Amino acid sequence: MSVAYSVIAVLGTLVVAFIVSLLLPGIERKFIHARIQQRIGPPITSPGIMAPIKFFFKQTINPNSPMPRLYNALPLISLLVVTVLLLFLIPQMYFVGALASVIAIIGFLKVEEVMYMFMGSLSRSVLSVRMPFPDIVKGAKHPETPRRFLEELSTLRAFRLIAFGSFPVYIALFVSVAVTGSIFLSDIVAYQQLHGPILFTVAGALGAVVFFIGYMILLNEYPFGILKAKADVIEGPYMEYAAKYRAYNYLTRGFLMFVLASLFATLFLGIAPNILNPNFIITIIVALLFPMLMAVMSAFSPIFTYKQFYPTVAAVSILGVLAIVAASL
Amino acid sequence: MDDNKEKRTVIEAEIPMGTVHPAALEPYRVRLFVEDEIVRDAEITVGINHRGVERIMEGLPVEKANSLTEKICGICSNSHIWNSCLTAEKPLGIEVPERAGYIRIIMEELERLHSHLLYLAHGSEVLGHETFAMRLFYIRETVMELLGMIGGNRVHYGASILGGVRPRCELDEMRIQQIKNGMDLLEEKITAFADRFVSDPLVMSRITGVGVISQKDALRLACTGPTLRATGVEKDLRRDMEEYDPFEFDVITQDDGDVKSQLLMRVMENFESIKIIRQAIRDLPPGPITNRSWEMKDTPLTKSYIEVPRGTLYHSYALEDGRVRNCVIRTPSMANIGAMQYACIGHHITDAQLCVVQCDPCFTCTDRAIQIIEI
Repeated sequence: MSVAYSVIAVLGTLVVAFIVSLLLPGIERKFIHARIQQRIGPPITSPGIMAPIKFFFKQTINPNSPMPRLYNALPLISLLVVTVLLLFLIPQMYFVGALASVIAIIGFLKVEEVMYMFMGSLSRSVLSVRMPFPDIVKGAKHPETPRRFLEELSTLRAFRLIAFGSFPVYIALFVSVAVTGSIFLSDIVAYQQLHGPILFTVAGALGAVVFFIGYMILLNEYPFGILKAKADVIEGPYMEYAAKYRAYNYLTRGFLMFVLASLFATLFLGIAPNILNPNFIITIIVALLFPMLMAVMSAFSPIFTYKQFYPTVAAVSILGVLAIVAASL
Repeated sequence: MDDNKEKRTVIEAEIPMGTVHPAALEPYRVRLFVEDEIVRDAEITVGINHRGVERIMEGLPVEKANSLTEKICGICSNSHIWNSCLTAEKPLGIEVPERAGYIRIIMEELERLHSHLLYLAHGSEVLGHETFAMRLFYIRETVMELLGMIGGNRVHYGASILGGVRPRCELDEMRIQQIKNGMDLLEEKITAFADRFVSDPLVMSRITGVGVISQKDALRLACTGPTLRATGVEKDLRRDMEEYDPFEFDVITQDDGDVKSQLLMRVMENFESIKIIRQAIRDLPPGPITNRSWEMKDTPLTKSYIEVPRGTLYHSYALEDGRVRNCVIRTPSMANIGAMQYACIGHHITDAQLCVVQCDPCFTCTDRAIQIIEI
């Protein structure tokens, strides 16, 4: 009976999470962006559901890639990593021990970030191919300069994101560790069931702010979207993904939105995602609120360059450290 | 090119942007020569959209040629047809009725308004601020509706003809009232936008000190129009145009020469355009709007310069049996290309498009001459 209960809880949570995640991009664009910008916006199902369905039936154009099969597999690997991350957040999976810990979560998120580097370095966009203009004739500036593709540029930025940009979210994860004294999710959830949500402490509130900024950075949303800034790298690592591979990218992003919100609910509210627990509705509410807040912020911000990005990340990271210090006191 | 910029020539790679790029409204190409992500040199290539308008105009009857010049640009179409008319009217000795002159000014200033608002919207989009861009497009709609009301079209209005303006552009009381209401609405909306814009710290941090063109460099690079005035040079050809003599307006200048100055420059110029339109409406003289009592004759090569939204527009041609000969047109964007390249140097790649856009390029207008480089 308990095994069946666990299987239902795990599969049910994954399915519901996936369904909710399909609506998140639509909510973000229709209800927030479009309303703020005084336009009608797309149908709510369009960005998360109809667009991927459409892409599944498009012709696949293979990019100019040195390793096309690996390149095409990367979105699926990303989706898999995010799914596994959610899997280990579900209480019925806490028996796996170290895999259901904050350290493992950081590892999974890092793998997800590294995918951008692979995507960018394995793609050769047609937008960067030399045009039939006199680049190499007499009079042209710097005629023999090696050409760098826009995706390569995005790869370099992905490296910076991994090395520095994603600090806030990882620091925020350790706020709950500092409060509870354990890296295991089971302990963190149990602590909050006894003592109340961490969110309602000073350390927790600061950590939540830091987590939210980190959430936006991980999702490459404006103003932190350095990986896919339309002003220069356009879509960055994703640029050459076509048809079903682009659909996987869309699905992964929506799913990541839900998973990060679930992570927040687990670490700061003590509510692990479990379809058989009525509190799961709170996880869903958090998953809906986060994209809305993110959309408001992005609608009123220009995209950052490093000049704004680095100080912001540094300031938010310091705030995160202060939250950890406050938690330890 | 980069005499006054930092003397560093370490170039690691080239980043090509365009000819197709979401941040570029038109087909042009920017080659950025970078060290890490800092631009050390830049090259802008135009010529992708060459249409050979000057060649097509060769031998056309002047009336047809005038209409054709309007198709050079979708943003400053009125400027082209107006200047083309002036090029023929001066040597032919055509007296333009005073009322027609006022209507031409109204059309030109409305066009300046919509061009500057489009510029601000595009600039906001390149900044990544889609909300500002959308709101500016809404504000611009008021101007587009007024242009559509007067000219019959939202883009190519065909207002100017030899000797005046078309009959359909006559301004009756109802139209005058609509223009008055439109100006009130625009002033209110642009003021609200300007307040919001300058008080946004994130936007200001993105545009302050970026893409600086000093006054000395702007003059050396032969910049024109608002691009030049944003560096502190008080040069507006409207001051020298007799068509603008009846109107009082200030020549707006900014001192810093950066993206902020360029954007604020256009915001402030909008208010001057509104001021001119209000004066034109208030003092609109009675009388005919077209002078048809003139005779065609051969004329020598005549040059005409006017101040259009982007700077100085040049048209020149001769007339032979009523047909256009040796037509040459130079748009202000051609003069500003050097500044666009220069402004990119020393800045981050993300700012490069902003540095180009700050000069308000209109490359489709510029793409008419083929430059043959002897190898």
